Amino acid sequence: METIATEKEKSFIPKYLTGALNDLGIGAFALDQNGQISGINRAGREILGLDGSDESAGTNLEHIHQNLAVNLTEARSKLSNGHTHAMVYGVEYDDNHGRPQCLDICCLRADDDGTSEQIICFLRDLRRSHRVSDDELHLRQELKILSDVAAALSSSTELVQLLKVILTGATAAQGLGFNRAFLFLHDERNNTLVGHMAVGPRSAEEAGDIWSNLDSMRLSLEELLDNNQRKAGQLSDGLNELVDDFRIRIEDDSAIGRICREGSWLNLTIDSSVDPVTASVARHLGADAMALVPMVSKGHLMGLLVADNQITRRPISDEAVELLQVLANQAAVAMERARLYETRNQKRIELEKTNRLLAETQDQIIRIEKMSVIGELTSAIAHELRNPLTVVGGFANMILKSGTAGDNQEYLNIIATEIRRAESVLNQVLDFSRASKGENRPIDFSQLVQRSLELLRGRMSGKETPVFASMTDEPLIVYGNYEQLLHAVYQFLKLTAEDLVPPGEAEIRTERREGRALLLIRILCTDETRDKVRKTLERIFSQNRTSQRLTILVAGETIRYHGGNIGLASGEDCPPSLYMELPLMKESDR
Amino acid sequence: MKSRVLIVDDDEGVRALYQTELSQAGYEVQAVDSGAAAVSIVENEKFDVIVLDIEMPDMSGIEALSHLRRICPETPVILNTAYNTYKQDFQSWLADAYLMKSSDLEPLKEQIRKLVNRGEQLSRK
Repeated sequence: METIATEKEKSFIPKYLTGALNDLGIGAFALDQNGQISGINRAGREILGLDGSDESAGTNLEHIHQNLAVNLTEARSKLSNGHTHAMVYGVEYDDNHGRPQCLDICCLRADDDGTSEQIICFLRDLRRSHRVSDDELHLRQELKILSDVAAALSSSTELVQLLKVILTGATAAQGLGFNRAFLFLHDERNNTLVGHMAVGPRSAEEAGDIWSNLDSMRLSLEELLDNNQRKAGQLSDGLNELVDDFRIRIEDDSAIGRICREGSWLNLTIDSSVDPVTASVARHLGADAMALVPMVSKGHLMGLLVADNQITRRPISDEAVELLQVLANQAAVAMERARLYETRNQKRIELEKTNRLLAETQDQIIRIEKMSVIGELTSAIAHELRNPLTVVGGFANMILKSGTAGDNQEYLNIIATEIRRAESVLNQVLDFSRASKGENRPIDFSQLVQRSLELLRGRMSGKETPVFASMTDEPLIVYGNYEQLLHAVYQFLKLTAEDLVPPGEAEIRTERREGRALLLIRILCTDETRDKVRKTLERIFSQNRTSQRLTILVAGETIRYHGGNIGLASGEDCPPSLYMELPLMKESDR
Repeated sequence: MKSRVLIVDDDEGVRALYQTELSQAGYEVQAVDSGAAAVSIVENEKFDVIVLDIEMPDMSGIEALSHLRRICPETPVILNTAYNTYKQDFQSWLADAYLMKSSDLEPLKEQIRKLVNRGEQLSRK
């Protein structure tokens, strides 16, 4: 036992006291007015982690742990100002090697005459004073690792984040300290383990760089876990290539198959007795010895964690593998939780989608109901109007044919013509009414337009329809009542052919535009007739619905009920154009 | 001898129009205002063509049609209606012709003429 004080110790503490303090494990040092340690005993150097030479006297507070330095700076300030004569603190922190420290600090003014501002500090290592054994210390460290990892695991429900935590906990020097770790996830359907993520250096050179870099950062495990969780992408690109899509078949007679089935760890040295499946995994990873730890939650295999010390060749202890198993079990529970969270999230998204569809369907049902009511109404009105029209028109025709009309012939002609027009409108309304009884279904919009054109050509029997069509080859699937839409498109084209085009021509085409099926009609008229066509169009598509033609009003309402629109395409210099658009059916709804 | 036409329609104006027009066209026309009246009259009298409305209050034309087919299966029936939807009703197939009501009575007269001629040809055979 050393009881001889160094020169520096002599300068501030009596020799007999220095030896006694060293024996008791009590550190003592003096702080000058610049915050420099002007003298320190051996126990003090050990506690503060300073080197053993006398050179540590003269160390600035900046070079000792921050938690301790803060307290000492505060004590020096208060004692120097004469606010108090003594200050006592309790400090806990992890030292630069990640070991937990627990100290009592007592600071006193060295003199009371005011000539010197030297502060004497005493440090008591509580672990030593409580005679904490190495085993207990080791246990504490293990608990600290597990607690830090558990805290990190509970902070996320993202699988990738959780996997990073597991691998960091397994490989960090402040954690379990394995050189490399590989994570395989269980693919239940194919009963295989699929390589997912890995961490660690690929070579001794890389290890030197990585580890010295990490060492210089002086991070606690908690900080390192936090850092790695935040890091985007993979932790170790090169090593990840080794496991990416690498599959291990879970076979009953292999060591891997057995531990996955039993949920127990294995500390394995690769030799000739190892089964072929396990040996091929070791060969692929380039490992001579490895810890194999299944990740099991509630009896459900989630994956396999493989760790080794291939870089340092340090033997793998069973205790380390046991601890890795505890960590893996924690991780498995967190992964299960993440899976449940993900499932719940998926269900929520599905539910939202279903609710949205339900709302849309309700909307559609309301629209269909509305159309159905309109259909019934128009049908009833048509019936009520049909008989009087037939009778009035019929008698007018009869008198005209009899030649007895006399002076009233002109008026009877007008009556007969107007009755015929009214009957024609009535027929169109009845067509619409009949159409409203149809079912909704997916419809090829271009084919619908083509069919309407054929109908139009048929009804214009013999007359040349001056309409040129070009349909897109792209399928434009819309959803709705085929008969109603056919009726609406037909009326739209009929208007073009009969009222707008003569003596010109029209060009029609279908196309997809921003999630909608579009029918465009360009009236190719001469400069002289352009204004006239524009005015006709403006009158037909007037905002004032009472002045709109009934057939166009019904066609427009039909299109709007289907979520679309009809109208005039703008542009002064362009030929007068009409458009009809309908929402395209989503792929997912077909 | 004049061909006999029975008009069945609940609308008085239609009955008057058809009666006048068809009488002028040379037919002997009788008109009733309901399906039940039509069924009753054909049990005692023979007609060459029956022009039958569909929408009537007590018995619809479709229902009357099935009775008429049972009582006088050889008499041709023209369904004459304000609606176009009954064309899809398979029961209306029992009729010999289907015409929408119109102020232009030429199609109706043409149809009656065809059916009367067909009946005469059949009776000659």
